[in-house]
Amino acid sequence: MEVLASGKGVYRTPDPDGHREWVRTHKSRVAESKLMTAKEAVEKFVSDGDYLGYDLNIHRRGPTALVHEVIRQKKKELWVAVRFSALDPALLIAGGCVSRIDVGWFIHGGTCSRAIEEGKVKTTEWSNSAVVYRQLAGAMGLPFLPMRYIGGSDVFEQSGAKLVKDPFTGMEICLVPALNLDVSLVHVYQCDEYGNARIFGPGLSPIETSTCAKKLIISTEEIISNEEIRRQPQLTTIPYYLVDAVVHMPFGTYPGAMPGMYGSDPENMMEMMVADRTGTLDAYLEKWVYSVESHTEMLDKLVGVKKLLELMKTETVKEGYRA
Amino acid sequence: MSEVMNFTQTEQILCTTANLIEEDKAYWVAIGGPPLMAMMLARYTHTPNVFYVVEDGTVSPQPPAYVPFLTGASGAGSYRALAWKDMSTMGFHCALGYYDYGVLDCLQVDMYGNINSTFIGGDYEHPKRRFGGPGGANEIASMCWRTIFMAEQEKRKYRKRVDFISSPGYLDGSPRAREKAGLPANTGPYRVVSDMAIFGFDEETRRMKLLAIAPWTTIDDVLNEMDFEPLVADPLGTVPPPTEEQLTVLRAQVDPEGRAIGAGKWIEYKPES
Repeated sequence: MEVLASGKGVYRTPDPDGHREWVRTHKSRVAESKLMTAKEAVEKFVSDGDYLGYDLNIHRRGPTALVHEVIRQKKKELWVAVRFSALDPALLIAGGCVSRIDVGWFIHGGTCSRAIEEGKVKTTEWSNSAVVYRQLAGAMGLPFLPMRYIGGSDVFEQSGAKLVKDPFTGMEICLVPALNLDVSLVHVYQCDEYGNARIFGPGLSPIETSTCAKKLIISTEEIISNEEIRRQPQLTTIPYYLVDAVVHMPFGTYPGAMPGMYGSDPENMMEMMVADRTGTLDAYLEKWVYSVESHTEMLDKLVGVKKLLELMKTETVKEGYRA
Repeated sequence: MSEVMNFTQTEQILCTTANLIEEDKAYWVAIGGPPLMAMMLARYTHTPNVFYVVEDGTVSPQPPAYVPFLTGASGAGSYRALAWKDMSTMGFHCALGYYDYGVLDCLQVDMYGNINSTFIGGDYEHPKRRFGGPGGANEIASMCWRTIFMAEQEKRKYRKRVDFISSPGYLDGSPRAREKAGLPANTGPYRVVSDMAIFGFDEETRRMKLLAIAPWTTIDDVLNEMDFEPLVADPLGTVPPPTEEQLTVLRAQVDPEGRAIGAGKWIEYKPES
């Protein structure tokens, strides 16, 4: 296949057979309880230097309790797939956890922008869909996929994409390398103890993000029985054998919204946004992450039942979100 | 009858963009900000049934007119959708040619309709000011049949060359430039909407072309706010001011707190009697 042009961005060379070996030797096929705390899950399954991804963002159904735990445990040198993000990458950067990001999109003008301008965080340029598409290739067990965007722009130059002559049609087409994350974090509505998980609402990329990863940590609003899963199998978004850890974490996306269940907390969001702009996210993290031992302790000590009940009332849309 | 009308730059851009929206076409709209507001304005005025998707996988929702300040931080934007899919599915359907128009706002646009949302000044490794990146705009501008951009008429926004092409227009303007880069055939920028004008693109040269200007401005006023000289249509059209109905919907329904529409300069317009 003739390569017409190559981007010069840094990417990890795809290794589909290496991933298969990992699956063969590390992923249990046995339906057994994977219930553990966020602390245990992050200790066990997130390592310094990991390539980390997650579904959605800190505004909506993001795995915020797990992201906080990664920060609390001061994980280092992470390479983070950042697409359709909000201030989640800013928190990870402020926590000193990140050395490199893949850019789809982040909230600019604050922590992320400064870290890149100062050279503290390195970047490879993609787009929101391109990062997810690379995860799709990884989820399919392929080394790459062809696609009809990225080409022509300066994004192409700063990405790891290649422009080739399609051997079937002779047309120009872009190829992007597969992305198999080391670890993915996904927050779901319902899950059984084995990891069979249900997600409602627009998904963004739960399937790609879960399937392409070597290690998958699920946090869930609710634990349901395996019998309930078997009664409505079409509702299962993620089957158990992809999952390494199940963390029962009600309000696990706080201060973000869990559509159909609870709204986001505008006060906390505003505090986070101001801290991002003014370069004081370390104080935000001290208050909301480091000063407590867990998400549950944070909800108990800093948020309170009254506030949580109020947030349940602010989410007025219910249709379609629960089985 | 001659009454003085007052409205903001942002309101003018939103109304002009909404006027371009057609009921029988399919739209891929940036998930927040002015493009979604223009879509809401169109839905609550002349195109109540228009089909649109956003990149989180929401297909044809019927949300409230009010776009929350923290876009996406609730289920409101996905309310009463026809389907809840995901980002990949939106990309597949766009690659297949189902989405007629993309609607995007932009930091910088150049004479060939390339847009920048990545950095200004310095170089890629050492940007002076780093912005958020292409987000979903690269796929939208690459694969929708036509793309509509929204950008205030300011010299720093209308550049001869953008600092970085985050999302492709007609690239260097050469024949088949997009196809040679692997993008779908016969796609590209269609309109650029500012508070003073509407631009299109010349079919031969692919250069930006001034199609119409607002009645309270002149060609020179528009050119003074550009870093390059666009082609000029002959005859030159007129961009209508907002209607009373549009302003009412914007102010009472789409953005009652005025967070977005209150931005920018006020325009005072006295129609000729």
